[in-house]
Amino acid sequence: MTAPAISVPDVNPTQRRWRSRLSCFDLASLALLTLVCGVALCAPLLAPFDPVARVGDAFAPMGTDGFLLGTDDGGRDMLSRLLYGTRSSLVSAVAVVAITALLGTIIGAVAASCGGWIDSLLMRTTDLFLAMPAVLVAIAVVAALGPSLSNTLLAIGIVWWPAYARIVRNELVSIGARSHIVGAQLTGVSGPRLVARHLLPGIAPLLLITATLDIASIIGILAGLSFFGLGSSAPSPELGAMTFQGLPYFLSHPAVPLVPALGVFALGFSFNLAGDAVRPLLAANR
Amino acid sequence: MIRFAVGRLLALLGLMAALVVVVFLLQGISGIDVARAQLGPTASEDLVETRRQELGYDDPVLTRLVRYGSDVLSGDFGTSTRTGSPVRDDIAESLPASIELIGAIMVVAVAAALALAIVSVGHGRAGHAARIAVSVGASAPAFLVALLALVIFYRNLRWFPATGRTSLDSAPVGPTGLLTVDSLLSGNLQAFFDAVWHLVLPATAAALAPACVIARILRGSLIVELGKDYVDVARMKGLSHRQVLVRHCLGNAAGPALSMSGLIVAGLFAGSLIVEQLVAWPGLGNYAYRSIQASDFTAIAGITLTIGAIYLLVNTTVELVQRHIDPRIGSASNAGRPNNLLRRLPELPTSTRRFGQSAPRDAVD
Repeated sequence: MTAPAISVPDVNPTQRRWRSRLSCFDLASLALLTLVCGVALCAPLLAPFDPVARVGDAFAPMGTDGFLLGTDDGGRDMLSRLLYGTRSSLVSAVAVVAITALLGTIIGAVAASCGGWIDSLLMRTTDLFLAMPAVLVAIAVVAALGPSLSNTLLAIGIVWWPAYARIVRNELVSIGARSHIVGAQLTGVSGPRLVARHLLPGIAPLLLITATLDIASIIGILAGLSFFGLGSSAPSPELGAMTFQGLPYFLSHPAVPLVPALGVFALGFSFNLAGDAVRPLLAANR
Repeated sequence: MIRFAVGRLLALLGLMAALVVVVFLLQGISGIDVARAQLGPTASEDLVETRRQELGYDDPVLTRLVRYGSDVLSGDFGTSTRTGSPVRDDIAESLPASIELIGAIMVVAVAAALALAIVSVGHGRAGHAARIAVSVGASAPAFLVALLALVIFYRNLRWFPATGRTSLDSAPVGPTGLLTVDSLLSGNLQAFFDAVWHLVLPATAAALAPACVIARILRGSLIVELGKDYVDVARMKGLSHRQVLVRHCLGNAAGPALSMSGLIVAGLFAGSLIVEQLVAWPGLGNYAYRSIQASDFTAIAGITLTIGAIYLLVNTTVELVQRHIDPRIGSASNAGRPNNLLRRLPELPTSTRRFGQSAPRDAVD
């Protein structure tokens, strides 16, 4: 693409672009995400029963005795477990993404601002990590540390930060060549202030979108690893583990494994939609 | 090209060495006492200590790393504490089943992705439906799709078998270990159809998400291609929209989708573990699951090295193939030069296209 010859200054660029670039569908996607996250976070208020306690007969059908989604093999309320499980998946995925994005941003910023051999060293290390099969390495790490939710999160974090370091470094290098950065440097801004005030705001939209889409993938990976028996242990509500534990009953009671699997889908889908919806903001920033 | 290939192959060797180091370090921090695991919990402390020395666990770290590396190079992954047989044999036994499943997944995924991308580029109701299907399918976890497929097609309709690779007692045992190939080689058509029958459900279920991911990328590059001048020329010649799309644009737009497919094939070796678990497919996934449950890290290390090596090999191959198809990739010196072998444009002089592309830049200057 080539730049237009004359750029027209925008009076209030941020506000105008937000409004014009988000369609009704995009707003609906964001509303869906807010709703799903709100319901998940309010699980303790909304859940009618204790998610780990036996509250009724095993395999009560949907809608009986106040069990909206029925009960599972241990007589636990499916709806409460679904709500708590969604909350656990959401909080875990957001935490992993937040920490890896922060770590990756710091490393990428150091690489971009130092340059030279520090940049080469950091980026070669990043390439090494990026070339490895992420999910497989995560499985090996969890298998080595012993299966538990925190070890699973740690393993995903170990394989996930290089993506952020790479994105941030490349984006910072490309922004660094633009005229507003050169202008800031000419007025005497340098070092951490240049990075924090002038460079990092430029990559914020990209980071936001990447993080939103990453949360969706990590929810899936986390559920997959729990499904594999690598997540949290038996009675605690975790969507992947619930699916796996319900598997033996799918012939007689298909809802028991299907409901938590659908929960994983709903969570991942709303994050994917929201990520696509805010993507135009990236174009607005260019 | 040769310099590029040598560089990639050297990088491949470096990455494999790094993988071995990572697995070795993980083995170290896992704290699983192999000597104790081999002898059982009732063995005396002295016996375990002697065994530890026999196995060389008291040597310096570097010595052990070098020994582990050379063992792995010679194909010795150690002995599984769970099955008692060499990990290499266990893997050799379960790998063909996984390869067969992944092959089937990729065939379904690529076919579905082509269809979805071509339909979703179009306008109207079909295009709209395809776009929605792609964005829904891309976020559906494989185990949900497989589970839904099991409930609908096995539990309710009884169309497909639920578990395993074959329902025959005497399935053909052949040179490749792939049931479909072996049964064809031995001329046993019944076994062939039975094997395909067992493949349909898990392959389709696991192919849905990859198909949507590939279709998304293909759709994006198809839209870019459709905006180019040669499309207008082809339309003016009198070709239909579908003809232009399939004959002219598809080849040009295939690049990014091809590299994504390579990544997906490689990733499926890890990803299909879950689907294998669901349909009791006797492949690597099953082996990995049981090894994890038994905290048999020797086996997990072997699986990680095998799948990791396949992953790195497939990715390097895809890079080399792509570079061969499109020499512009990876070399800045001839970036933008229109010498793409996939661009079949005999009816359009190169200079016209270059003029068309560079016109806006001239206008700005």
